[in-house]
Amino acid sequence: MVTVLTAKDFKIRYRNSVLGFAWSLLNPLAYMGILTLVFSLLYRVNIPNFAAWVLIGVLIWRFFSVGTNQGLFSIVSNPSLVSKVYLPRYLLVLSNNLANLLGAGLEFLVLLPLLVILGVSFSFTVFLLPVILTFEFMLIFALSLSLSALNLKYRDFYQLWDIALQLGFWLTPIVYDVSLIPSKYRPLYLLNPVTSLMDSARLIFLAGQLPSLYDVAVVLVSVVVFFAIGLAIFRSLESRFAEEL
Amino acid sequence: MPIITVEDVWKRFRIPHEKRATVFDHVAGTLTFLSGKRYSYEEFWALKQISFLVEQGESLGIIGPNGSGKSTLLKVIAGIMKPDKGRAHTQGKIAPVLELGIGFSPDLTVRENLVIYGVVMGMSRSQLKRDADSILEFAGLNRFQDSKLKNLSSGMQVRLAFSIAIQTEANMFLVDEALSVGDMEFQQKCLQKFRDFKREGRSIVLVSHSMDLIRSYCEKTLYLANGEIRFFGASVDAASKYVDDMKAPLATR
Repeated sequence: MVTVLTAKDFKIRYRNSVLGFAWSLLNPLAYMGILTLVFSLLYRVNIPNFAAWVLIGVLIWRFFSVGTNQGLFSIVSNPSLVSKVYLPRYLLVLSNNLANLLGAGLEFLVLLPLLVILGVSFSFTVFLLPVILTFEFMLIFALSLSLSALNLKYRDFYQLWDIALQLGFWLTPIVYDVSLIPSKYRPLYLLNPVTSLMDSARLIFLAGQLPSLYDVAVVLVSVVVFFAIGLAIFRSLESRFAEEL
Repeated sequence: MPIITVEDVWKRFRIPHEKRATVFDHVAGTLTFLSGKRYSYEEFWALKQISFLVEQGESLGIIGPNGSGKSTLLKVIAGIMKPDKGRAHTQGKIAPVLELGIGFSPDLTVRENLVIYGVVMGMSRSQLKRDADSILEFAGLNRFQDSKLKNLSSGMQVRLAFSIAIQTEANMFLVDEALSVGDMEFQQKCLQKFRDFKREGRSIVLVSHSMDLIRSYCEKTLYLANGEIRFFGASVDAASKYVDDMKAPLATR
């Protein structure tokens, strides 16, 4: 069931356009180009290999924002699967998120050669990428449970999440380094699990180092916390899904 | 052992006077609430005190005017909606045919959609791989298996969906007026299939406005009016009672 629904979501996403999968590569590339250009022109960036650094940040952020945003709509966009047949409803969220994991994995895979062109020399730590993406997927799933249920109950909820994502873009070190954050705010700033994921991805790609224990802990704790919240919200709203659609 | 047990089922819907479907409405609504106005909604019982049994091998018809609770009852039996009181229990595997082609995607091919809908209806992928050809054969769509679903006429899409649905190895089919689809030839095929099911001892729960269908396929019929059981018993009696009730207001005019 999960396999078939995931394949369906994945195929629909890429088959509808002529360029299909190529679009999903063009988007982060364009983003990388624009951000790199703007920020290296406007500010003196002292991050080595800024373009590669931004690209990894953009890919991690894109997985998170696209993943949660589509996860949010996974229940309301499947009215007949909810109100005309009984499936465990979380499967709709899960398969949607899995399709995104697959997409993100492919994006990374195809863009790896670009990193080489940009002068990155890989060490064995890149093999940890699947682990990082899996953790990011778990975070997305945990959040999508709450988001999808809330978006069914409150039909304008997606607007709030959209704003949250815009805020999140700047609260995550995609185009700047953590060192820019004033040190008194830094402990708070570093509670962001997406920052930890991004940090870890950059470490394994660019520095050939293992993720820090702190980052692993932040991600693990937030997955557990958001999953508990998500499960509670989803469970309590699920019984009325069929009526509210 | 009854195949469907419905015990004292009540189902309530809330119809808010001012619908608060958005966060914005809730914020605005809370402000008016604080200023002394009360948030109110009307309670509407879609099903009241429904109890009945369907035995193994029996088929059940459900009739009644629009809005009498037929579809809600079907959803409660299928487990899609939870009753507010009482319980509905089914024995064995059920195939809900409340809508045909659930999960169909116009941009995927006929064969891909076949697998999706089949899985949604509870079939396994290996079973679908094995049976795909016979399903396409029954639907008369072999030639189109690799075209996109959106290039099929709506009648053909429904035929495809129906052909998949009836392949389910369920022992009970919940059907919501889905029979009125396809051309005459296809309808005959479907009715034949239903007769086969009955011979195999499988049950059909049929919501319909056609008294002929009800009389010829269902041993028992439940006649609902305003969410309550108006009559439950032999289909012939239920149908004539329904027809009488429908005529009554005309006679008094």
